Amino acid sequence: MNKKQFLNSLDESLQKLSSDERQDILQDFEEHFANGIAEGKSEEHISASLGSPNHIAKELLASYLLEKAEKTETTGNIIRAMWAVIGLGFFNVVIVLGPFIAIAALVFAGWASSIAFIASPLLVFMNVILNPDTFILFDLFFSMLLCGLGLFIAVGMFFITKALIHGFVRYLKFNTKMVKGGLKHV
Amino acid sequence: MNVQFKKGVLELCVLVLLDKQDRYGYELVQKISEQIAISEGSVYPLLRRLTKEEYFTTYLQESSEGPSRKYYKLTDKGRMYLRELTREWKEFSNGVNQLIKEGVSDE
Repeated sequence: MNKKQFLNSLDESLQKLSSDERQDILQDFEEHFANGIAEGKSEEHISASLGSPNHIAKELLASYLLEKAEKTETTGNIIRAMWAVIGLGFFNVVIVLGPFIAIAALVFAGWASSIAFIASPLLVFMNVILNPDTFILFDLFFSMLLCGLGLFIAVGMFFITKALIHGFVRYLKFNTKMVKGGLKHV
Repeated sequence: MNVQFKKGVLELCVLVLLDKQDRYGYELVQKISEQIAISEGSVYPLLRRLTKEEYFTTYLQESSEGPSRKYYKLTDKGRMYLRELTREWKEFSNGVNQLIKEGVSDE
């Protein structure tokens, strides 16, 4: 690959970034080539030592998406960042996707039970309407107790969800630092 | 070497090279690849990330040969981070060295 091919391929893989940022990145590599050429190296030699532009782009994209997820912690942003981090290496499927599924399941279960608890008096009323003769007072009081409990869980879940999402983004960041670095696979 | 340490090690290399003097990208890459086998291109994403995390600032300087160069300068925050990483690295490598020594003498 010569310099032009390398830069074009990098540019193409970075389409998701803003053009300012892309220009800045390409400038860094232009400079790298210029310095290597000044030392008498060939363009092919320099680009071979740099490694695959595709892989470099992946790393740049992962940190860009992570930064975005950190700024605005929406589900979409976090999932995109997660896929990008997973894309950095097969190993990451286990250590990134695993915790994500566990956290997602926990959050889902928490909210589901709180909603079910809150809705339980409604279920009692429905039961009364459908089968008027089976009503017992205990059902009503118990469902009201559950409803209160559900409200408490909902408030708790609100904070837990926030903390978990925040923690997960930090975990993703930690991963891009530690996993799959620039050392060659010897 | 364990994949999990690769990036951490590269980060430490870059930080340590900038401790005494400011350097430009190409120079950093050359210095590191003189010692360890790296895919040189990975250094640049790393430099960008560490700059965004405010461990470095950058400035452009004209050079006599070719285009102007982007220099990286370690900030105070970066220097603190370097101290921390160095300490962790020493603890880690001392531990491994100790185990190797014991392993060899047992044989």
